[in-house]
Amino acid sequence: MPIEINHSRCIQCIGCASVCPTGAIELDGLRMVFHPEKCISCGACAKACPANAIRFIPKEGAKQEQEK
Amino acid sequence: MEYDHDVIIVGAGPSGATISRILAQEGLDVMVFDKRKELGEPVRCGEGLGAREIVAQGIDIPKQCISTDIHGAKVISPDGSEIVWKDKETTGWVLERKMFDKWLMEQAVHKGARVQSYTRVFDLVKNDGKISGVKVTHGGRDPYEVTAPLIISAEGMEASLARKAGFRALSTLYDVDTCYQYEMQEYDHENLIELYFGNEVSPRGYVWIFPKADKKANVGIGIGAHLETGEKEGGIKGATPKEYLDRFIENHNQLKKASRLQDFGGVISVGAPIDSFAKDNFMVVGTGARQVDPIHGGGIALAMESGVMAASTILRAHKAKDYSEEFLSEYEKTWREGPGKKVATRLLLRKVMESAKDDDFNYIFKTITDKDLNDVMAGKFAGPVAKVVAGRPQLMTLLKALVS
Repeated sequence: MPIEINHSRCIQCIGCASVCPTGAIELDGLRMVFHPEKCISCGACAKACPANAIRFIPKEGAKQEQEK
Repeated sequence: MEYDHDVIIVGAGPSGATISRILAQEGLDVMVFDKRKELGEPVRCGEGLGAREIVAQGIDIPKQCISTDIHGAKVISPDGSEIVWKDKETTGWVLERKMFDKWLMEQAVHKGARVQSYTRVFDLVKNDGKISGVKVTHGGRDPYEVTAPLIISAEGMEASLARKAGFRALSTLYDVDTCYQYEMQEYDHENLIELYFGNEVSPRGYVWIFPKADKKANVGIGIGAHLETGEKEGGIKGATPKEYLDRFIENHNQLKKASRLQDFGGVISVGAPIDSFAKDNFMVVGTGARQVDPIHGGGIALAMESGVMAASTILRAHKAKDYSEEFLSEYEKTWREGPGKKVATRLLLRKVMESAKDDDFNYIFKTITDKDLNDVMAGKFAGPVAKVVAGRPQLMTLLKALVS
């Protein structure tokens, strides 16, 4: 799982969903849900999250992209 | 084919509510779906709204939706110098956004539109390759299909259905600001919007204080989401607006003693509108189409204005029974020739501002007057730029894009 959502920090602002290129995070009811099968490990959600509520664990192959 | 409705609108925010009100008034069968459990919730917004555009639309916002009137603005440079611009007239409002969104949708329902909350639209229905409806689930229960010859995405930033329909409604990190905001109390304000600039305060953005009733204020920050201003969870570098905002409050004489009543946040678009607003049987309106002011990320007024334009095209399409991209593009054309021009000018201003250093801000804010500031906000750059460049010619490099 490349990301973990910290629900006690999350303010349901859907910022992550707005920048996710593949629709791997969405608001379902009152909670953000993550669909790992759609995630491409780009880290955009974690970078954009204003509440620092997403823990991003880069994949080996995605490391370069994240460090640019 | 027999359809369930004339038009399906996804999203009951300001653009969806505006379009559905106008269409219902003209007798169309309009169905609006909103994924939120309660319309208007959660608020992710500074709640500011300029008066001019709303008065022009003939909309009379009731008292319970307005927290307080705004009578101007105060802009504060990194070294603390201020430009204050005051007006006897009401220049805008800080809304009770939750009440406002709900009220706006209620007006549409009064005219005959139908709305259904807590309903997620998760896919398109296609018939012979043509968009002919949506798949929805109400409160997470069994999905079902609803059909109409025209689907409107009024979804806001996420725009997931618009993306499914093939629109490029995805912002890069560079073209969004990541925002954190508190509703605070007590704050002695003068009914002015306060904006604090500076790379220490808020890189590629600013801190805002929007006054509210009863000595309350929305105190928020937006910074470029592409910036790597700190370490985030998991050890990556990224944008840290909350940390900047907390530091600003800690250094502010009054706010550091104030209470926090609410935390909210969001990601706002400060980039260009998407490259196309219409396809066969589908239109995108409002923030989803990035019809947003690139200076302050405000989308309410533009969403309502765009809603009026979209509704006018939809009425003609309904009459002609023609929902082709070609026909629906009339709305896009009207938009790009009207509000689109203003948005383009503001995008230019944003790009110039993001290259300014603190020293540039200090000099510019000392040199220009409140009248100049008004001109800048109205897109009239020549006078203010001439004044600044006369005293400091090297700033021409920074500012030339505004006058060429």
